[in-house]
Amino acid sequence: MNTPLNRRHFLRTSTALIALPVLESLGFRRFASAAQTQSRGPRPKRIIFLGFGWGVTQDSWYPNIAQPGSDYTLPAGLEPLARHKADFSVVQGLLNKYNSNGHYGSTFWLTGANEFGEPGQSFHNTISADQVAGETLGKGARFDSLVLDCGAAALASGHGQGLSLSWDIRGKPMAGPKNPVEAFHRLFAKDTTPLAQQKAMLAQRRSVLDNALENARELQRTLSKTDNSKLDEYFQGIRDIETRLSRDEKWLGVPQPTPPLKEPKPDLAGYEEIKLMYAIMVAALQTDSTRVLTYRQPVSTLLTSLDVRIDSHTMSHYPGKGPEYLEASEKRDHAQSTLLAELLDQLKAVKEPDGSSLFDHTTVAYGSNIRTGHNLDNCPTLLAGRGAGLKLGHNIVVSKDTPLCNAWLTLLKGSGVPVERHGDSTGVLPQLLA
Amino acid sequence: MRLPRLTLTGCISLSFVLWAGNNIPLLAEESPKAVMPDRHQSLLKENCQGCHGPEKQKGKFRVDDLPLHITDLPSAERWQKVLGAMNSGEMPPEDEKQPEAKAKTDFLDDLANVLVTARRALSDQHGVIALRRLNRREYQNTIRALLGVEIDGSALPSDTGGPNFDTVGANLFLTGNQFEQYESLGREALEQAFSAKVAGTVSLKQHLESETLNPVFLKKNKETLAAQEGAKNWIKAVDDAAARPANSATVANLRKIAPSNDALRYHWKKIPGAPSPLEFGFHKSTEVNPAEIYLYREFTEFAPYDQYYLGLPHLDRGAYLTVQTRVGGGNNVTAIQGLAIPPKFPPGEYVVRIRAGATAEAPAERRFLEFGLKGFQGGATPALSTHHITGTLEDPQVIEIPFTFSKQNADRGLRNLFIRERGAADGKHDQRVKEAYKRNGFGPEVALWIDWIEIEKQITPEDAPPAGVRVLDLPLDDKTTDVPRDRVRSAVEGFVREAYRGVPAPEGLLDRLMGLYESRKASGKTHRDALIHSLSTVLSSPRFLYRAEPDANATHRTLSGQELASRLSYFLWGGPPDATLRELADKGELLKPEVLAAQTNRLLQHPNSRHFVRPFLTQWLHLDRIDLFQFNQKRFPQFDDSMKSTVRQEVYETFAHLLHTNGSLGELLRADYVLVNGLLARYYGIEGVSGDGFQKVVLPAGSPRGGLLGMAAIMAMGSNGEHTNPVERGAWVLRKLLNEPPPPAPANVPEIARLAAKALTTRERLQAHQENPQCASCHRKIDPIGFGLENFDATGQWRDTDWYQPVSASGERDPKLRKTWKIDPASAFYKGSAFSNYQEMRDLIATKRRNFANGFCSALIEYALGRPCGFSDEGLIESIVQQSEAKDFSTREFIHALIQSKEFRSK
Repeated sequence: MNTPLNRRHFLRTSTALIALPVLESLGFRRFASAAQTQSRGPRPKRIIFLGFGWGVTQDSWYPNIAQPGSDYTLPAGLEPLARHKADFSVVQGLLNKYNSNGHYGSTFWLTGANEFGEPGQSFHNTISADQVAGETLGKGARFDSLVLDCGAAALASGHGQGLSLSWDIRGKPMAGPKNPVEAFHRLFAKDTTPLAQQKAMLAQRRSVLDNALENARELQRTLSKTDNSKLDEYFQGIRDIETRLSRDEKWLGVPQPTPPLKEPKPDLAGYEEIKLMYAIMVAALQTDSTRVLTYRQPVSTLLTSLDVRIDSHTMSHYPGKGPEYLEASEKRDHAQSTLLAELLDQLKAVKEPDGSSLFDHTTVAYGSNIRTGHNLDNCPTLLAGRGAGLKLGHNIVVSKDTPLCNAWLTLLKGSGVPVERHGDSTGVLPQLLA
Repeated sequence: MRLPRLTLTGCISLSFVLWAGNNIPLLAEESPKAVMPDRHQSLLKENCQGCHGPEKQKGKFRVDDLPLHITDLPSAERWQKVLGAMNSGEMPPEDEKQPEAKAKTDFLDDLANVLVTARRALSDQHGVIALRRLNRREYQNTIRALLGVEIDGSALPSDTGGPNFDTVGANLFLTGNQFEQYESLGREALEQAFSAKVAGTVSLKQHLESETLNPVFLKKNKETLAAQEGAKNWIKAVDDAAARPANSATVANLRKIAPSNDALRYHWKKIPGAPSPLEFGFHKSTEVNPAEIYLYREFTEFAPYDQYYLGLPHLDRGAYLTVQTRVGGGNNVTAIQGLAIPPKFPPGEYVVRIRAGATAEAPAERRFLEFGLKGFQGGATPALSTHHITGTLEDPQVIEIPFTFSKQNADRGLRNLFIRERGAADGKHDQRVKEAYKRNGFGPEVALWIDWIEIEKQITPEDAPPAGVRVLDLPLDDKTTDVPRDRVRSAVEGFVREAYRGVPAPEGLLDRLMGLYESRKASGKTHRDALIHSLSTVLSSPRFLYRAEPDANATHRTLSGQELASRLSYFLWGGPPDATLRELADKGELLKPEVLAAQTNRLLQHPNSRHFVRPFLTQWLHLDRIDLFQFNQKRFPQFDDSMKSTVRQEVYETFAHLLHTNGSLGELLRADYVLVNGLLARYYGIEGVSGDGFQKVVLPAGSPRGGLLGMAAIMAMGSNGEHTNPVERGAWVLRKLLNEPPPPAPANVPEIARLAAKALTTRERLQAHQENPQCASCHRKIDPIGFGLENFDATGQWRDTDWYQPVSASGERDPKLRKTWKIDPASAFYKGSAFSNYQEMRDLIATKRRNFANGFCSALIEYALGRPCGFSDEGLIESIVQQSEAKDFSTREFIHALIQSKEFRSK
C-alpha cells in the first residue's frame, strides 16, 4: 500500500511522530539490510547503559566485599538475577571524584566531568561514554546511538541535570524519546514513499537546511564572540542533520523489515514502562537500528507503580527513617533487578545470523552515580554481556575510589573503540577483563 | 537579636593569607573573598599535616601549602577534596588523633561556605549575557502572540530543573533534534493559524440544557431495574429446577465440580427444566457465563439511589451531579457523551459557562465543583479548576471558566468535559457512598444542580487576527494555485518583521524564502502548502529562536529601542512586545526613562503579567516541589488536587496583589491579611468568604496565617506528603527568606541509622544531627527553624500535637509503640535570638527585610537578565535594594529600579 507523499515525511522528532501516527520515517528500511549484509562477517559490538538515579539499598544490594571472586553469595537485592549469576559482574569501589552533588545520580555518571571545570561558567560537562562509543560502533547502523529518557518522571528520580544520560561531544545535554511510544516511532515509523519522491524530498530538505545555515551566518556576522559560541550550537545542530541526511541517502531504496514487536500503548508508567522500553531496546539491536543505547529510567513512577506511596527522595534516605522506607528501597531494587533479569533473558534469546546471541556481542552497564542517600562513592555498577570481553560471574572489588571512568574506558576498549582516555580515567582495569 | 550570618565578615580583611612557601599572586579586588579563616590552620596542622605535610605527602596530597584564599580552580579542587574526605569520615583515619568536635564542626561549616563563595566567584560571568534562546514557555507565548494558536511544547525541553532560572542563556541549549521539533511545531502552528483564518471568526459555541440528559438517565434506570428483576427471577427459576426431586441425581453429580449454588447455575443447561437467561432479557453471552447476571444481583443498592434521584424536584429544567453508579453509568451529567468540545473546535482559549446552584440542604463542604477534561477512551486531566457554588436552585449562578484547550489535550483526545462535585474522583469516594447507603438506604444526597453548560471558543477583538496572520493579506485556503509573486513577497516581508519582533528581513532572506516557495510550487504543491513551507523556516531561524542583540565589537553598548522592548516584554510578559511597545521603540520614545517606567507599569497591570508572576515565583521559591510527592489522602482528605492547585494559586495571587497595589515586599514575611477564595478560606478556617476570586481578608490577631510562612503551599513543600520535613523547611527559610543559603547537601556523609525503629519525637530524632560534626556544621543553623514550624502539619494546617508510630521488625505497625507528643516549637537561631513559638520566630524573621530583599533582588536580576547573579552584581543589588528600601521595600520599586538600571538597558 502506498500512502501519498507526505510533506512531514522527514521529521523524525518525537512530537511530529506522536501527532502523526502514520508518519513515515526515511531510512528505516536499512535495518533488514544491515542485518543481511553483515550476516557473514564478525557481529557488531553493542553497548547499553541503564541509569537509575537514586542508588540502591546499601546492605542488600552489594555483595559482601569479603567474598570477592565468583564464589559469592548473591544478595537479596540481586536475587531476581540468580539465573544470570554466571553472566554478570558487580564492580565495587568505583567513584566519580569530581561529582560532589548528592542529587546528581546521572549528570556525570558517564562523563566523569568536573561541574566547575570551566572558569566563568556555572556548569560544565563533557562527552559521555556512550557518545564516544557511538562514534565508532554506530557506523553502519541507522542511528549512531539512541538516547532514551523518561520525561517528566526524571525530575524526582535523582538523575540531576541533563536531558538523558548522554552528553554530546561539546558536553551539551542530549534529548531523545521520552517514553516507549516515542521510542517506537523513532525506530519503526513506516515509510512507503516511492523512491523518486524520496530523492526529491531529500533535495528539498537540503535547500531548507542551506537556508537555515545562511540565516545563521547572516546573524553570526553581527554577534559578539560570546554570543557566537552560543550560536555554534545552532550550526552544529544543522550539521548533525546534514550528516544524517547523507547517511539516509545511502540507504534509499532498501526494503524495510517489520518491527519485531507491536506498537506500545500510551500512558504506561513505571514498571511496565521500563519493561516495554527494554523490549524496544532489544528490538533496536535486533534490527541493527543502533548499536549504542542509553536509558535514563524513571524511579519516581516506578515506585508509584509498585504501590509505594513514599516519595523517591525520602526513600533514598531510608537510613534513620522508619522501616517502611527501607522496605520501599528494597522493593525498588527487587523490581529493577527483575526488569534487568528479563532484559538479559531477551538478549540471550535473540539469535544473531551466525547462531550466536545478542548477549554474546552486547555489554550492559547498569548503575548510578549515587550509592545511597547522598553518598557518591562505590557507585553501584553491574556489568553483563560478552560484548567487551569482560570477566563475568564475579564480585569484583577494585581499590577504593578507582575512577568510574576507568571502567568505562575498559568497556569501550573491550568493545573495539579506539580510545585511550575518558573523563578522569587513569587507565584500563585489568581486574575487569576475562 | 542576631540571626546567623554565613558571610565571612571576620576574614574579609585577610585579603592575602597564604601558607609559608607559597607564592600565588593576588587577584584583582573583589568582594567577598573566598578565604578560609586563619584559625582553622591549627586543625590542619595538628590532624592532617602529619601524613599530608612536606615530609610524608601520603596519597600525593599536602595540606601545608593549601592557600587560605581560594582564587583558582585547582585550589578549589584541593579544598573540595579535604571537605569530601572529612565529611565522609574517611579523614582523619579512625585510628588517628581526631579533632575536637566543636573545632571540626566550625571547620566544616566555614570550609563548605568558603567553597560555595569560591565557586560563585570563579563562575562569575561578569555581566556577560549568553545569547538567549526562547525557552519553552517563551516560545509558546511567542507563537500564541504571533499566530494565535496553542502548540504542544511538550516535546521541547522544559528548560527548568537546573540550578538557574529557565531564562539563563548559558543553559538554553539547542540540538539538531530540537531544530527539527521547531520546524514541525512551526509548520503545525501555521497550518492551524491558516485554517482558523479561512474558517473566519464565526462563533464556535455549544450549549447544552442539562435536563435533556434526564431521559437518557431514565432509560438507563429502567434498564437497570429490569435487569435486577430479571436476575432475581432467572436465579429463582434455575434454583427451583435444581430442587426438583427428579433432578437430584443430576444435581448431585454436578455438585462434585460446582459445589456452590452460583457455580451450579453455570451448568443450567444440564438441569432439566432450567430456563435460558435469554428469556429474562439477558444477552446471549450470559448463557455461557452468567457472571453479568450476578453483577446485577449484587449492585442492587443503586436501584433505590436511582429511584431517589427520579423523585427529586426541578428535573424538568436541570440535572444534579450524582455519584457514579457502577451499573449503567449512572445519571452523572459528565457521563453523557454530548458534553464535549466538538471535533471541529480547534485548540485555543475557551470559556466554559455553567449555570449551577446548590441544594438548600447541601453542607458547606459539598458546595465545590471541579472542572477538567477527559477522553472517550479514558485518560483525563487533573481538575483544571475548582469553583465555589454560591447560587441556589431558585437563584442559580453562572460560573465562567476560562481555560486553554491545549494542543496536547486535543491530541490525546481529551475533549469531554468533566464537571463533578469536588472529591467525586478521589479514593474516598466509595467509602462515602457506602456510609451514606448505610445511613439512608440509598446513597449520598445530591448537593449540586446544573441548569445548563456552554462551551465557547474565545475570540478577543484586540488580537484577532493576530499580528502574524494579519500581515498575510493572501488567500490561505488549499485550493488557490496562483497568487501574484509580488503580493506573496510583500506578505512574506511583513511576516518576517512580525516574527523577528520588529527587525526587518535581512538582505537576501526574502530571495531565499521566495526560492523555497517557488521550488515547492514547482514540485506540484498548492500555494498554501508552499507558503507554509517557506514561512516555517522563519520560525526555526536563529533570529526568531534567539533574542539576538547584535554586538560584533563586544563592548557594553546601550540597547536599541526594539531590543529594549523585547527585554521588557520577555521579562514581564514572557512573550514578544506588542504593537504599542514596538511603536514607542520605533520612535525612540521607549529609551526615555519616564516612558520606560510608564510602560513597565502598563505591562505589570496587564493580564499577561501572569507569564512573569507564575514562572518567576515557581522557580524562585521552588514551588514545583509540591508536585514531587503524593499527599496521603486518608490522613489529609481535604488536601486533594483542587486544594493543591488552590494553595499554589495563593502564592501567585499574593505576589500579584503586591505588584498591583505596590505593597511592601516585607508583607511576604509577615502580613495581617491573606488572599483567599471560598475554598481556601474554608481550609484556613476563615469565615465569610465565598466565590472563586481571591480577595483580601484581614486576619484576627494571633493568626498563624499572613506572609509566605503561613501559606499552606510553602509548608506542604516542606513535607513528604505524610510527615513534615523540618530540615527542608529550615533550609528553605535560610535560602529564600534570610538569604543565607546553606551549602549544597554534601556527598558521602554517613547516615545515622541507629534510630530507625525507635519511637522518638521529631525533635529527638533530629537531635542526632548535633552529635556528629559533619551534620552539625549545617544542621545547627537549619534544624531550629524547622522546629519553629512544626505546628504546621504536612499540609500546612495548624496542629498542637504530632505522633509517630514505628513499624516493627515484622513490618507491622504496633499501636503500643505509637508515640504522641505536644509540639514544642521553642528554639533559637544559631548564634541568635531565642523564640518560644512560631509567631515569635516569624516576627524575628520579619525584621530581616533587608536580607529578604537582597535575595529577592538577585533572583530578579538572574531572571530578568538571563544570567547567573554573581559577586560582580553586588553593586547593582545594593542600588536596587536601596532605592526600594527608601520606599518601604515597595514591590514595584524593585522592578522599576532594575529596568532603569544600566545593566538592564545595555548589552
